[in-house]
Amino acid sequence: MSSRALRITLLVLAVIGLAIASYLTYVHYSGIKPACTAGESCTKVQTSVYSKLAGVPVALIGLLGYIAIVGSLLVPERESTRLATMAFTVVGFGFSGYLTYRELFSIHAICEWCASSAAIMTILMCLSVWRFLRGEPTPKMQTIALSGDDAGPGLTVR
Amino acid sequence: MSPVESDEEDLTRKQRREQSRSERKALEEAEAAGAARRTRLTQLGVVLGVVVVAIVIVLIATGGGSSSNKGIVKKPAAVSTLVNKVEAEVGGIAQQGDTIGAATAPVTMQYFGDLECPICKDFTLGALPSLMQKWVRTGKLRIEYRSLETATREPEVFKTQQIAALAAGKQNKMWQYIELFYNQQGEESSGYVTEKYLQGLAQQIPGLSLPQWTSDRGNGGLSNQLATDAQSANNEGFNGTPSFLLGKTGGKLTKFEYTSLTDPSAFNEAIEKLLKA
Repeated sequence: MSSRALRITLLVLAVIGLAIASYLTYVHYSGIKPACTAGESCTKVQTSVYSKLAGVPVALIGLLGYIAIVGSLLVPERESTRLATMAFTVVGFGFSGYLTYRELFSIHAICEWCASSAAIMTILMCLSVWRFLRGEPTPKMQTIALSGDDAGPGLTVR
Repeated sequence: MSPVESDEEDLTRKQRREQSRSERKALEEAEAAGAARRTRLTQLGVVLGVVVVAIVIVLIATGGGSSSNKGIVKKPAAVSTLVNKVEAEVGGIAQQGDTIGAATAPVTMQYFGDLECPICKDFTLGALPSLMQKWVRTGKLRIEYRSLETATREPEVFKTQQIAALAAGKQNKMWQYIELFYNQQGEESSGYVTEKYLQGLAQQIPGLSLPQWTSDRGNGGLSNQLATDAQSANNEGFNGTPSFLLGKTGGKLTKFEYTSLTDPSAFNEAIEKLLKA
């Protein structure tokens, strides 16, 4: 996968995640019922005590996380920006993992919006770790010094 | 040696030199790439380590129901403030058993709730006070509380807590009990609903006879009422709380799908419509 294609894939996923987090943040602050196919599960999760961390709605924390990821993907690509994307997605993955644990073992309800966000964050994390570890795309092998300072004395193309 | 042979030998030597240079360069590049990869792996390890530590801290800080919200308010000043707040909301309104509001009120709403359900708390502390003032206190709406187990994990605890509220209803103070419960609701699954907690709530209700309340908790009729409520919820297909039925008093009540638990607008609109009908 080319560097550009990988970046676009990451960006598309992050924007979808951003949309989900925006919706959940809106639901949290407006007090409306989230659209949910699984009965009251989403409402149960969204209004549980675990929907806030240190008083901050987790939906808002997620929204800020996705903004950070999108931001790190929009700036010109460098080693440091790949590191930033990777770090944000690993943190996001850890946070999603914690929330999924709470859904399964504390609230006993699964919110499809949260599960979708967790799935997106998992894919984002895998792709961004791969992108970070592979580094710069390998440049094509250069033709053996035919020009410039490397060219030895007397070596000319005939 | 002919000049051509010398030229070719010279070229071969140069080519060999070039080859060894490019091999050296490739080796250096491979070493640099290896070093970069090691650096990246270290950075990844650091990030993973930080995340794992953060998760452990968050789990310890939020886990096991060890939050500061363990339920019942004990400080006399805080209890007094809370009791005054509840009295201002439901005090002076006619109650009968699980129902609040005048028997002649033209509109009836059934509120299916679980006392441990945090969403019911959102409604009870959110949209409900406005509905109480606007419709119940003015004799236009009566609200019947129906028990439906959702958030409470253990059926026995559910039964005990709901019966504790219904028993207060025997003295027409169930809504004080409900309000005080939701106002002091503890953290979900933290096991805060104990006998001490239930009795503490009863003691906060002004004018409630505790011996009478204790005796009424053993009343078999209240258990039957829970079963009837569960059956009603089942008939309506309710599996979440809060759920609502709304309609003309004495007529058929229909499901009311709320859009917000904190904004009473949708409730107001539906009640106004029924009053005009």
